[in-house]
Amino acid sequence: MKQVFFRILISVVFFILFSAVSLSPGFAEDRREKIQVVGSTTVLPLVTRAAEVFAEEKKDAVAITVNSGGSGVGIHSSATGRADIGMASREISNKERERFKNSDLKTIVVGRDAVACVVSSEVYAAGVKALSRKQIRDIYLGKIKNWKDVGGPDREIVVIDKERHRGTRHVFMQYVFGDENARAPGARLVTGSNNEEQSKIAQSDAAIGMLSLAWINEDVVGIAILEGDEAIEPTLENVRANRFPISRNLNFVVAGEPEGIVREFVDFIISPKGQKMVKASGYVPVHPL
Amino acid sequence: MAFISLATVVMLFAFLVQQSLSVIAAEKWNFLFGLDWWAGETYGALPMIYGSLMVTGLALILVLPLALGGAVFTSEYLPARYRLWIKGLMELFAGVPGIIYGLLGVALLGGWVKNTFGLIDGNTLLTAALLLGIMVLPTIMTLAEDALHAVPGQYRDTAFSLGLMKWQVVLSAVIPKALPGIAGAVFLGLGRAMGETIAVMLVIGGLDKIPDPWFNVFASGQSIPSKLGREAAEAIGTDLQWSALMALGLTLFLMVMILTFMGNFFLKRAQ
Repeated sequence: MKQVFFRILISVVFFILFSAVSLSPGFAEDRREKIQVVGSTTVLPLVTRAAEVFAEEKKDAVAITVNSGGSGVGIHSSATGRADIGMASREISNKERERFKNSDLKTIVVGRDAVACVVSSEVYAAGVKALSRKQIRDIYLGKIKNWKDVGGPDREIVVIDKERHRGTRHVFMQYVFGDENARAPGARLVTGSNNEEQSKIAQSDAAIGMLSLAWINEDVVGIAILEGDEAIEPTLENVRANRFPISRNLNFVVAGEPEGIVREFVDFIISPKGQKMVKASGYVPVHPL
Repeated sequence: MAFISLATVVMLFAFLVQQSLSVIAAEKWNFLFGLDWWAGETYGALPMIYGSLMVTGLALILVLPLALGGAVFTSEYLPARYRLWIKGLMELFAGVPGIIYGLLGVALLGGWVKNTFGLIDGNTLLTAALLLGIMVLPTIMTLAEDALHAVPGQYRDTAFSLGLMKWQVVLSAVIPKALPGIAGAVFLGLGRAMGETIAVMLVIGGLDKIPDPWFNVFASGQSIPSKLGREAAEAIGTDLQWSALMALGLTLFLMVMILTFMGNFFLKRAQ
């Protein structure tokens, strides 16, 4: 009995000590204004870059946390107040509008991007430089299983799908199937963020996937889309000229009219300075530079 | 103290059940036996349940000979001072966080599996099972070794005095005596493997599908924790999807609970 009492006493003492330390001024209290940004991994690099410069300009009187999770999570977080700004690489769906009709969601376009159909560099080198919408659809349906059927090497296709709520997937599936929620029974792998998908495609020598323009590199090549006889390359010029068929807005999603420091940050992103960062991140600016 | 932990478990259980009710009402048995999980439409958890069982089962098969062989060798054949070294090392390994194994898995194991078996891709059920096997090897080995080591010396002496060889002594006197403890070690190891999230999530492929044929371990799959990890952030605040994830959690909770109970039951009997 005595021992039990002693233990309780010790825990109480520790508890008081810890709370005293953590509650004392200067230790845990942070006087900086805070902005929480959550969502699309496509929009993320651009916001991270802008947040750094913005915080610097504010002489570090503001703390911006930027977290990934996907467009669905971004819209969800801003609607439920878990974040000040949601990042979304697609528009808010009707379902989401219905679900969050009380939160007065607004989108602010901060840039434009395209979703390219990407393949492993080995496949590109072997001759697959362009695919039609029908070919891509058949690959994702599992009707075409081998690269040789579309002019490539005799190798089974590693079809990479994305988690269903990802903005990149919505935009891609909308183009390929005419339905942003289309199923892809031919999928071999399901990935989450752009980074994850990029590395899985790079590791493979027979993969096909969908990626934002900014993630294309020498291991992960964006192929042209065949529309009729025309092969449209996934380039910034084509996106700017509205020629590339799978393009989309990069959005900030806010609940209600943004105020205070959040407003300032939004204005910063659409200012010439912010738009230069959009360009530097590999996307197309939508406001004057 | 026992009361507090029991109360916590009961409350957790009740919370999970309460949160799962709406999906169970909507899906009924289809939740457990349905093959199709498509958020917003239908929630069939069988592919995830299959993935969890398959991956842990396979991990066990792969790792059991090694873990038990190692335990017998360490306990019965190794001089005492080396034994302490090995034990210390195993306990160190048992404490390495899952994400570390996950990173090694993505960087090395995936490619190795792909090349060794000539697959088109290395993110498979087998990769996850191998990784889990490596992860639980130290736990199973060190606990099984404890069980073997705890067998009193007189059993060995008696067996020796009957003129048996060393390996006969181990096989017919020490191991049977230590069997409950070994079984306990295995079940506790399995419990850990079944709940592992991040390492599995990185290498299993994330496909909510039972492969065809079902024993094709070279296909991608999905385990319950990995599914929860991927979908939780999106589902917070939704009705049915969240409830479905909670029900998945409940299923996992029950599965791990059974394993842990069995583990503790055998370990108690061993003492």
